[in-house]
Amino acid sequence: MRRDNIVLRSLAQIGDCALFLLRILAAIPRSLRHVRETVRQLWFVGAMSLIIIMVCGLFVGMVLGLQLYDVLSIFGGTSATGTVVAIAIYRELGPVVTALLFAGRAGTSITAEIGLMRATDQIAAMEMMAVDPIAYVAVPRFLAGVIAMPLLCCVFCALGIFGGHLVGVSWLGIDNGTFWSNMTASVELVKDVINGVLWKSVVFGTVVSLIAVFQGYTTPPTSEGVAYATTRTVVASSIAILALDFVLTAFLM
Amino acid sequence: MTDSVSAKPEDSTLVRVRGLTTVLNGKKVFDALDMDIPRGKITAIMGPSGTGKTTLLKHITGQMRGDAGEIVVDGQNVSSLSREKLFELRERIGYLFQNSALLTDFDVFENVAFPLRQHTKLPEVLIRNIVLTKLQAVGLRGAAALLPAELSGGMARRVALARAIVFDPMLILYDEPFVGLDPIALNQVLKLIRTLNQTLGITSVLVAHELEAIKRVADHIYLIANGKVVAQGDPKTIANDGSPWTRQFFGGEADGPVPFQYPAGDYAASLGFPRGNP
Repeated sequence: MRRDNIVLRSLAQIGDCALFLLRILAAIPRSLRHVRETVRQLWFVGAMSLIIIMVCGLFVGMVLGLQLYDVLSIFGGTSATGTVVAIAIYRELGPVVTALLFAGRAGTSITAEIGLMRATDQIAAMEMMAVDPIAYVAVPRFLAGVIAMPLLCCVFCALGIFGGHLVGVSWLGIDNGTFWSNMTASVELVKDVINGVLWKSVVFGTVVSLIAVFQGYTTPPTSEGVAYATTRTVVASSIAILALDFVLTAFLM
Repeated sequence: MTDSVSAKPEDSTLVRVRGLTTVLNGKKVFDALDMDIPRGKITAIMGPSGTGKTTLLKHITGQMRGDAGEIVVDGQNVSSLSREKLFELRERIGYLFQNSALLTDFDVFENVAFPLRQHTKLPEVLIRNIVLTKLQAVGLRGAAALLPAELSGGMARRVALARAIVFDPMLILYDEPFVGLDPIALNQVLKLIRTLNQTLGITSVLVAHELEAIKRVADHIYLIANGKVVAQGDPKTIANDGSPWTRQFFGGEADGPVPFQYPAGDYAASLGFPRGNP
């Protein structure tokens, strides 16, 4: 097949990626015996991403609180700051920003690690020891990403709302009771939390983990190949997250 | 480890290569190659760099498939095996990679224990004893707690060797096992290869360039060049073969049937001299 055309090449990559997803799904039962490896990966991609997620969540919430207070004060509606901060974070900023940060922090490390394992023949060595690298290397990292993303998103949202509260209530003087009561009255469990935080973050976690593992697994075994694969993980993940965000929002609204 | 020793009368040839033809990037690496690896013997495969020795090992283990021909290992045609059957076969094959290919996340002990943990449910104390025995054999029992990044190239190769023999496989493929070894380690590795062969009857295939080392352990040598076997025999026979191939290869001469220079255009023209007036 000719792959010199960029459109054909991109379509072929998406097709290869979809086939790779089928291989991963088929290998999940075989990888159940590697639960310890999945837990280890969960630590690397989840727990080790906590700091960046928490710090970014806090600042996003603080900036949001500041901007909204400024705009809402024009209309005398500063009491709605908490509501708008929460809805913005739950529906969009929480899942999207967490996924973008996750792609940059965990996705790149997954790609680089698997790419280097291929470049140094570790994947081939597993094949030679009759150990399926898809079940041992790819699936644990993929599952860890799918599990970690919603959890990280929850942490991001919590810290974001805390940041909004910090600026709105503690700094700018919005009434604490008004901030929380308006928020709890306006935020809906299904529409905002489940559709926003849960579904979006599960889909984004799946896509980012798949792209990261696929890029690492199929990278040419050279230092340049690993570098390009790592870059492709960030670029492809970012585009996929933003495009899917539109599609999901359209369907879930 | 599996206990699937063939029930049928054992063939004296463990690996049979017939008519293997492989084309990679437009270059014919093997041209109807025929080769027999006898069971229970040490066979060395030698040849100029880039002649496809490592590629041949990859064909034997099913990591690569040829364009034509067949490879039969212990009665099984490798190219027609399903993935499950191929993995079953590989459990009985040890492979020493050229660059060791140790798992960088694990220490030396866990690297050697890795195949045991993946394929058996042996008690921890037994795994420990087996691993320490293999590490003792390669002289690295004291390095069990080190990470691969803390090892020299020669040490990493010996750890990889310990991992390759941890199951006492029926066939071990050594890809450049002597590179980076000091004379003491080289001697010990040679003794280990010979001991594994003599005491356990393990068939060994060595890909190496060190003729003196090969002479000490190999029962049979194949010299391959231009995609074919150009000479074969026991070390003494092949050393006195007298063919242009063996004379050039073992004599290290630049001129002969194997070109030292990679195919290139006119040298004088490349340097900018007018054609015919260097």
